[in-house]
Amino acid sequence: MLIFQRYSWWVAAMVGLALLLAVVGQVGVLSPVQGLFLNVASPFEKVLNGTFRPIAGLLSNAGEVGAIRDENSRLRLENEDLRNQIAELQQNAAQIDDLREALNLTQGDKSVQYLAGSIVHRDASPFTDVVTIDRGSGDGLQVGMVVLSTKGTLMGKITKVTKTNAFVRLITDTQSRVTAEVLGTGADGSVRGTPGRGLSFDLAQGEIAVGDTLITAGLGGSYPRGLPIGRVTSVSGSNQDLYKKVTLEPGVRISTAETVLVLTSFIPETLDLTP
Amino acid sequence: MKGAASVLAAIVAAMAQVTVAPLFPLSAAVPDFVLLVLVVVAAFGSPRRAMVCVPVAAIAYGFLSDRSPALLLMAYLPLLPLGLYLEEAQIPLNHYARTLAATLLTGLWMRGLLMLGPLLGGADASFGAVAGQVLIPGLFLDFVLLSVVYVPLRLIGWSGQGMSLQRGTYYSSL
Repeated sequence: MLIFQRYSWWVAAMVGLALLLAVVGQVGVLSPVQGLFLNVASPFEKVLNGTFRPIAGLLSNAGEVGAIRDENSRLRLENEDLRNQIAELQQNAAQIDDLREALNLTQGDKSVQYLAGSIVHRDASPFTDVVTIDRGSGDGLQVGMVVLSTKGTLMGKITKVTKTNAFVRLITDTQSRVTAEVLGTGADGSVRGTPGRGLSFDLAQGEIAVGDTLITAGLGGSYPRGLPIGRVTSVSGSNQDLYKKVTLEPGVRISTAETVLVLTSFIPETLDLTP
Repeated sequence: MKGAASVLAAIVAAMAQVTVAPLFPLSAAVPDFVLLVLVVVAAFGSPRRAMVCVPVAAIAYGFLSDRSPALLLMAYLPLLPLGLYLEEAQIPLNHYARTLAATLLTGLWMRGLLMLGPLLGGADASFGAVAGQVLIPGLFLDFVLLSVVYVPLRLIGWSGQGMSLQRGTYYSSL
């Protein structure tokens, strides 16, 4: 093995370094160094992002003119439908206000608090979808906090924090699992990320159809109940299958999101299994 | 001086990997700027410089993406031994072909290794999906990127170097 004769000491040193990094990484010794590195790298990354994002957007739009046109006409119809629904909801809201006043109930949930953050970079390999935001433990963020889009759609969960940054595992990451239910019907199951940054739904019980909206079920304590996740785009498989194959379209364009909201008022519950 | 420039290039490549690369996906694969810079340093600079850049790039990329730097180090490790093997195995290949082969083989190893974690963690993926959405587009991107960079570098007069380790002091080549 000529290659190992020539590079043997280097390969051995690198394997040793890898083992050392793995050990000190587990202990947490690298976290302060990582935080410092992220701080130093942040301005340069902003320059890179600011330079290449418009170019990527231009190329992406140029290649998707037909699809954008179709989406536009579909959205126009959807918009009209939504306007009608809003009008109806406004009427209902006015009625509810009257009833609330009559019952002397407090209006709105004042305990819900958010913190806005910007996505500074993302690690998007086929199986991984992790973004870094410019808020960290110094801003009160903790591991496990839930991250939403600016419109309130579920985007992911914080997996690690440094003083100034936080890493968010998006729901499209293949290691993400979210217990979810179908809005209105109560059918439930588990949403998970698929290779290629997609979403699928393992239906546990109940019926599901294209167009259904999925929300978080709140089971397990990792996510609050009722956060919108996405809409069903296809359902396939027979009744004999353990799970029907259900694919989802996230409620937000995760790949182009630049700002997120961290739900700081929700602290995930952890089970204490000690006797 | 050239050594410092190479290290800086490796760090910038790691930054580009988490900011620019995700903007230009092909199917489920993204271009690997870190691998590209390591290949250019090894093929046009010197293998000793690349020996320093590999751990620097792996650690920088690991810090920026919150991946394990240890895993990334192992992912980029085969580049130099593979380059040397192709050089000394009496295979009739020119410098470009050897560099391309080392890049593609390292890219294949790297993507395979980085997929192992999620797959062992329960990610649902068939071999066909992995090959069709990840490996083949990834290798294609590696091929395109290397070709786009290699030709201009040769045209401006950079000469391709071998990946053999010559006898001599380590610092003399930096």
